[in-house]
Amino acid sequence: MPSRLSLPRALGLAALCLLALILASLLLGAGDVGLWASLQALLGHADDEARFVVLQLRWARTELALLVGLALGGAGVLLQAVTRNPLAEPGLLGVSAGASFAVVLAINLGASAASLHLGVATLGALLGCTLVLLVTQMRGVGEDPVRLVLAGAAFSGLLGALSSLLLLWDQRTADEMRFWIIGALAGRPLDTLSWSLPGLLLGLAVALPLIRPLAALALGERVASGLGHHPQLTRLGTLLAVALLVGTATAAAGPIGFIGLIVPYIARRLVGSDIRRTLGLSLLLGPCVLLFADTLSRLLVRPYELPVGVITAFVGAPILIAVIRGHRLPTL
Amino acid sequence: MPRISPPLTAHCVLRLGDYSLLLHRRSSTVALFLCLALLLSSAWILAFGANGLTPWAALRAAFGQGEPMQLLLIRELRVPRLLSGLFSGAALGAAGCLLQTLARNRLATPGVIGIDNGATAFAVASIVAVPTSLAPSALALSGAATAAVLTFALAAGGGARGYRFIVVGIAIGALFGAATNLMLARADIDAANAAYPWTVGSLNARPSQAVWLLGGGLLLGLPAAKLLVRALSLMRFSDSVAIGLGVRLRLMRVLSLLLCVWLTALAVAVAGPVGLIALVAPEMARHLCARHGVPVLNAALCGALLMILADWLGRHLLAPIEIPVGIITAIVGAPYLLWILLRQSSRSSP
Repeated sequence: MPSRLSLPRALGLAALCLLALILASLLLGAGDVGLWASLQALLGHADDEARFVVLQLRWARTELALLVGLALGGAGVLLQAVTRNPLAEPGLLGVSAGASFAVVLAINLGASAASLHLGVATLGALLGCTLVLLVTQMRGVGEDPVRLVLAGAAFSGLLGALSSLLLLWDQRTADEMRFWIIGALAGRPLDTLSWSLPGLLLGLAVALPLIRPLAALALGERVASGLGHHPQLTRLGTLLAVALLVGTATAAAGPIGFIGLIVPYIARRLVGSDIRRTLGLSLLLGPCVLLFADTLSRLLVRPYELPVGVITAFVGAPILIAVIRGHRLPTL
Repeated sequence: MPRISPPLTAHCVLRLGDYSLLLHRRSSTVALFLCLALLLSSAWILAFGANGLTPWAALRAAFGQGEPMQLLLIRELRVPRLLSGLFSGAALGAAGCLLQTLARNRLATPGVIGIDNGATAFAVASIVAVPTSLAPSALALSGAATAAVLTFALAAGGGARGYRFIVVGIAIGALFGAATNLMLARADIDAANAAYPWTVGSLNARPSQAVWLLGGGLLLGLPAAKLLVRALSLMRFSDSVAIGLGVRLRLMRVLSLLLCVWLTALAVAVAGPVGLIALVAPEMARHLCARHGVPVLNAALCGALLMILADWLGRHLLAPIEIPVGIITAIVGAPYLLWILLRQSSRSSP
């Protein structure tokens, strides 16, 4: 392990990073409004176009990135803690796939109100979490980190195929979903933030009292029961929190993969593997990573934009390989 | 040297002058039945499409007799589609069988370890960047090779064994998948539409050159695979047993991996990533033959059968809309993958 930072120092560093990235996200874009014009707009004197782009479009996008990054980073840490598996990630384990399939199904059945997505996506994410719970409870399978990932990949594949089937079936849905299903932060309706904030807060509220039991669970089921916690109850509660967080993030920005893998990995590297230390840090790092990927996605192929999921996959896949190549998997 | 006792009752010996061939009786019967089933379902698929013909008329049209309309329908539309299904299914089935044996893990199929995605990414690149008709096959080949080499190199240490290998494959697959998305996002809409079949897996209107290339590749690849079977079936035991029995382990590994990449890439260049055929077909062949071996030929036959049936299903399930064959195989294959994953105990071997 590299030298670990103390928690306050790591938190401070992450907060600084986050501030810098928020500023970058506001100042840099794929369009015509350049760095200088954006800066002027932020300070309040620029033409209307620049002010609209910076204060409306980019600001809304940045806020959304903050929210989604927070949700996905938190969900990643919780999922890794509850499965005791450093490879657990909402996208890899099929939780995001469950959420996006539920949304596609709902739209296909005629729902269109944006706020409906949140509940539906959470239900779908719960479905994915149930699969995770089932697999981890199986003897001989649950202890094998890699098999869980494979099961998740198979599950995602199935739901992905079913989603494509639904999209083929109904052209209207296909048009509505085409951009959402890749996962992107751009072009979301402006009220997205207001209806997804409660989901995020609820998810975090469910997770908060579970931190101590989860830290105990990391020592083993027996120790956790000995310390007076209920392992089963802890697991159920954590998976509910993960479902809420992932459902919120997916409903708001579509399925964005690998954030839940990258963030806990960095956090563990910085402050060690205790969840009481990593969770707080991850809530700061999640938005950092997503903002970084989103800003990069605007700059790489100007004047076009990339789907942000492409960037996170390019960063996340090597990390996945690094984790699996590590001489022995870090135990959580 | 002791006289080798006559083979067990499950086998029979085919003698031709000085040469003799040891046949597993049940496997041969299964192969015959599979061929028969393939013939019947091919005739069925040729005859009954959206525009019904009598089987006789369809057969005559296939050999160049009949009305011009029927000729067009059969020879220009249905026969090429049938051939591309047969060829790609056979190639994927055989490739899956090889890789499963090589990795000693039934979950290790070309699709799971990222070879499919590599081939797809490069094939899409050929459409988006250099639009020529032969290029997709050649590029798919290099893409598949790149993905396979990357997976094996990065999983080194763990070898081709166990689950570590597979997860590295998943990561490589995700990388290439992202690269495909990247190219599709940047391409203009026409190129993106042309590349779309490669991303889901479809047999609709495939370029005939790629199909013929695949046919030629199969003609080379299947006999080569059959030649490797002997060594591969010894490699199913531990390494030391295989070495003790005279298998040149490293050479055989490299050869079978090359063959697997060759077959997969050519199939993907025709049909796109229909990877789950490579998972299901060898399993089916093993169940039908009722023995644990390396049933390459039967796996190829099963793959071809599954592919054309899945394609037929895709065309007729939601009649006016055509479901790409990749979606059908995913819906059937993924639950199966889950099932074997959850059923098997912590040790696994094909």
